[in-house]
Amino acid sequence: MHDILDLDRRGIPGGFVATEEFVEAAAAQATSLGFDPRKVFVGHPIQDRTDIEMQQIAEDAFESVLALICKP
Amino acid sequence: MTITLRDPTSELSPQTREPLERPDDLEGLTVALLDISKPRGDVFLDRIEDLLAQRGAKTRRYKKPTFTRVAPVELTQQIATECDVVVEALAD
Amino acid sequence: MTEYIIVIKEDCPTCRLIEPVLGLLIANRTVEVTCQDNPSWPDGITVTDDRALARSWALGIEIVPTLIRLEEGEEVERTEGWSRADWERITGMSLTADIPDFRPGCGSCTVEPGMGEKLAVQFGQAQLHARCLELGDDEDDIEACFDRGWSDGLPVVPPTDLRVLRMLSGTRRAPDEIVGQVPPDYATCTVEKVAINAVMAGCRPEYLPVVIAAVEAALVDEFCMHGLLATTYFSGPMVVVNGPLARAIGMNARGNALGQGNRANATIGRALQLVIRNIGGGKPGGVDRAALGNPGKYTYCFAEDETHSCWESLAVEKGYPSDASTVTLFAADGLQGIIDQKSRTPESLCRSFAAALRVVGHPKMVMAADAFLVVSPEHERVFREAGWSKSRVKEELHELLQIPGEELIAGADGIEEGLPEKLKDQTLPKFREGGLNIVRAGGSAGLFSAIIAGWGASGATGSSPVTHEIKLR
Repeated sequence: MHDILDLDRRGIPGGFVATEEFVEAAAAQATSLGFDPRKVFVGHPIQDRTDIEMQQIAEDAFESVLALICKP
Repeated sequence: MTITLRDPTSELSPQTREPLERPDDLEGLTVALLDISKPRGDVFLDRIEDLLAQRGAKTRRYKKPTFTRVAPVELTQQIATECDVVVEALAD
Repeated sequence: MTEYIIVIKEDCPTCRLIEPVLGLLIANRTVEVTCQDNPSWPDGITVTDDRALARSWALGIEIVPTLIRLEEGEEVERTEGWSRADWERITGMSLTADIPDFRPGCGSCTVEPGMGEKLAVQFGQAQLHARCLELGDDEDDIEACFDRGWSDGLPVVPPTDLRVLRMLSGTRRAPDEIVGQVPPDYATCTVEKVAINAVMAGCRPEYLPVVIAAVEAALVDEFCMHGLLATTYFSGPMVVVNGPLARAIGMNARGNALGQGNRANATIGRALQLVIRNIGGGKPGGVDRAALGNPGKYTYCFAEDETHSCWESLAVEKGYPSDASTVTLFAADGLQGIIDQKSRTPESLCRSFAAALRVVGHPKMVMAADAFLVVSPEHERVFREAGWSKSRVKEELHELLQIPGEELIAGADGIEEGLPEKLKDQTLPKFREGGLNIVRAGGSAGLFSAIIAGWGASGATGSSPVTHEIKLR
């Protein structure tokens, strides 16, 4: 999230992708940074996913990911 | 202790620091795909990269040295110079 | 029920003097003794610990000792300092003690310098109306101001309640008094909002009346602030300060007057720019479409040098008495230097000035931009020794700047820019009527003067300089 804030300050809009485990941590971090970036949450866990499963997760999330970087 | 400041503006805009406006579309723009270097994130970004390419968008891939620290300033400078928008993935 | 409150501090000779009286009162009346600096004093007396000053603040104590009489818990009268007659009258007691009949008190801790605002913030009496922004724990206060777009590119002073309250002590005007509507958003600007931006600019409280006057002048219709902001031209608002207040607040009218280093010069001009940016919403990349701009858009403010000058000041020329303090707003570019180290006669020096003034905007541009001619003391001496008044100088320049149309038309001199062919046979003045202003400023070493050119749209089609008196109340 700090990276997204840094890039936002440099004029680069965007956002980050995290798993659902990060929902609360992201909210807390946003409060302490005073900055709530655009974000997409995907299902947890991902460490044990096969390549095919990871690709499916990416496809399912794609429209949301697109919304991080351009207006719908 | 929380610092409180008084708003010097006309207060016509919301109080929170809003993220930058996104472009209307990706026509002619370059998308930075920033891998935070956690396992499986690269596979996720590979697929996102393909899907973006299918939509005709230009992309560039970047990788943080480690997910445990913020990106080095040289990397963010590079992204800011070479790209127009950014997706950072995948934190778990 | 408490009948009397006595507020004291140990660090007050009068309070120490009346110790025996306190004893007498406590023995015969229901008294609350409140001590501002030592809860263990006086010996043997139960004292309310008011080192935090909450009680003294709430009671509005200015002097210690203060004796307050209550009825049904409400104050009905009080006396400050020690006067046996007053204390006996208020308490209805004979206060025999081997002490003088009268001693003045000391200042209460609540009125020590800076304490008023600190306590107002602490006890929630700040009475500020602007929205509060609570920063995140990990936010740096200076970065937070940058992040929210409040800065002109340089760090601003974070506007905390304490700083804003202290700034407001610089004016007797009410914080919620409306100063005007600031373009381009035409948002309402109050004295408080000006104060917040003055804090950010780095002003001292005594500069605030000047900043408010500058904002008021900038909002006058003839100044055309909206157009000036939105133009692709170079100009931004410049502030010239006249009158006794300029000296009182330590403004610079002498060496490097148009440069850096003087806090009043630097921050007053900056505060005006921040008001336009933050309240008006006018920012580069937004409504501000300047192609190049100029460094004066960070800050452009100086005082005219009115000491030992033979010329009337800008304010007097504009019709104000010489003891009035004023601001004059001008839509200004940067600076064009004029070097003339040889002219000993006013005629020759005016020719130098005219040659330099000719190129304001473009050598072929006439009746478009106004200009300020800033004459240094060394150059003014040439005119003073020849007995030339300011209006004499202006007349001479006006004559010298009558330009034949054939030099001005498009194509003349191989330059495609220029006026229409039909003006070929006319003679045109460089400046519109009243378009050239002259002030004196600068250090005593240097045969240099300067031109500050104006926006290409002046007068009715654009901006005219506006002079406004500085109100202290």
